Amino acid sequence: MTHRERFIKTLKCEPIGGQVPTFELVYFLTMEKFGKVHPSHRFYEQWNQMSYKERSLHMNEMAQLYIDTAKAYDHSAIFVHPNPAGVENTQWLLELIREKSGDEYYIMMHGDPTWAIPDGDSMMDFSMRMYEDPEGLNDESKKRLDDALEFARALDEKGHLHDGFTLCSDYCFNVNPFFSPDNFDEFIVPYLKEVIAEYRKMGYYTIKHTDGNIMPIVKQMADCKPDAIHSLDPQGGVSIPEVRKIIGNDICLVGNVNCGLLQTGTDEECRADVMRSLREGMATGRGYIFSTSNCVYTGLALDRYEMMMDIWRKYGSYDNYEQNFGSGAVK
Amino acid sequence: MSILNDICENLQKGKAKVVKELVQQAIDEGIDAKEILDQGLLAGMDIVGEKFKNNEVFVPEVLVAARAMNMGASLLKPLLSESGVESVGKVCIGTVKGDLHDIGKNLVKMMMEGKGIEVVDLGTDVDPETYVKTAMEQNCQIICCSALLTTTMPVMGEVVKEAEKAGIRDKVKIMVGGAPVTEAFCEQIGADKYTSDAASAADAAVAFCKGIA
Repeated sequence: MTHRERFIKTLKCEPIGGQVPTFELVYFLTMEKFGKVHPSHRFYEQWNQMSYKERSLHMNEMAQLYIDTAKAYDHSAIFVHPNPAGVENTQWLLELIREKSGDEYYIMMHGDPTWAIPDGDSMMDFSMRMYEDPEGLNDESKKRLDDALEFARALDEKGHLHDGFTLCSDYCFNVNPFFSPDNFDEFIVPYLKEVIAEYRKMGYYTIKHTDGNIMPIVKQMADCKPDAIHSLDPQGGVSIPEVRKIIGNDICLVGNVNCGLLQTGTDEECRADVMRSLREGMATGRGYIFSTSNCVYTGLALDRYEMMMDIWRKYGSYDNYEQNFGSGAVK
Repeated sequence: MSILNDICENLQKGKAKVVKELVQQAIDEGIDAKEILDQGLLAGMDIVGEKFKNNEVFVPEVLVAARAMNMGASLLKPLLSESGVESVGKVCIGTVKGDLHDIGKNLVKMMMEGKGIEVVDLGTDVDPETYVKTAMEQNCQIICCSALLTTTMPVMGEVVKEAEKAGIRDKVKIMVGGAPVTEAFCEQIGADKYTSDAASAADAAVAFCKGIA
């Protein structure tokens, strides 16, 4: 099976045997690893002034960098962050990645129209609108949903080159979700449910991401029927067994390696955390994708991520689960 | 007194206009401004803060309650200063240098204001010198440092060192918080207090200001 096939089977919670799939939402350490600026860190102010040849060189180089990152770490999926954005440039980048790597990798991109936690400046206004102008807020939500679907349809019409959308609006702080469960039902659930359903009709998979403590709303998120939930943030007190108790075993889970610990913990603490994530994530024998609890962000120590991946290579096989983690661990 | 209860109740529901009207009515009835503040507004925010800590209410409810509190308090402020009533204490707060995240910092600020503390907001990307200079110039009892990134957390340690260098370490308490911050990290850098949520931060600040922590 290709990486893409293994990734899709995992999203469907089918057993795959062998190595548990892995990927990252973003791998920002491209300069340190490959000597190249990450595409999201580039500033293409004069993009439209460039000759086609120059734009093509940039686009090819970015496509190759995404593939090189996936190859270096045996990632099964590539999350593209098209820069410059827009349908045409996105399409171009997707075409190049497919041209260079065929169907080897599952390809995903952003596509979340639902509200995230507002920033500090707009949080008060947003909260007031929730109470004083819910109709207006919901009208805006509908417009955001329509725009997201229009973008997806435009890409779909051009050849359906990627496999899925990852919905990255953050809903939760470490302590609790921003939205109460009732607010979540009113302002998020209808649009999350619809965007996932519409993407699915187009043949796209969905992974719903949010940091923080998702436990009070995880059932509501799961009921919107994403294929997977990412990032299972231990800093927000999220544990895979506890999530499984609430949402069952038929939805894929992604993440759970403590990002903060990778930065601040000792080697021993990090090793223990990675082993715990593998043990708990793989315990059902299916439906788990290994990754950090957020992404490989700017400033993360490269050697720590590589240590995490070394442990994954050594202990991340379903075939050796009982040997590595004890008999009877696989349910 | 029922009007103070009404202020307290409506504040918890975030009904800012009603709270403002009730505060004005209470003033017109001759109720002491400090009494309106303590038994109406602050009592309401105390309940909201407790419910927030117990996960009974969420951030938007806290924010609308804080807005109601501020609208009511704006009417009381001149009366309180006329009668020489001082705030519970004064703190300066900011997100540390290199970090532009302000959600947590703003929440803590609102919860502290809801406890009657005067807050000097330094914004984001604040260098250690600015925290210490502000604390000295504005006689703050507490410096509050926020960080969302593991890569910016070490700046909190620099704030502690800067306070030591300026000779004010025994006069100010240093509080730290943010997603990656832990109790162990707080101890490691020699700060005074870590809290995991905004309501607990406000409680801790009140305790420091009143000298009971």
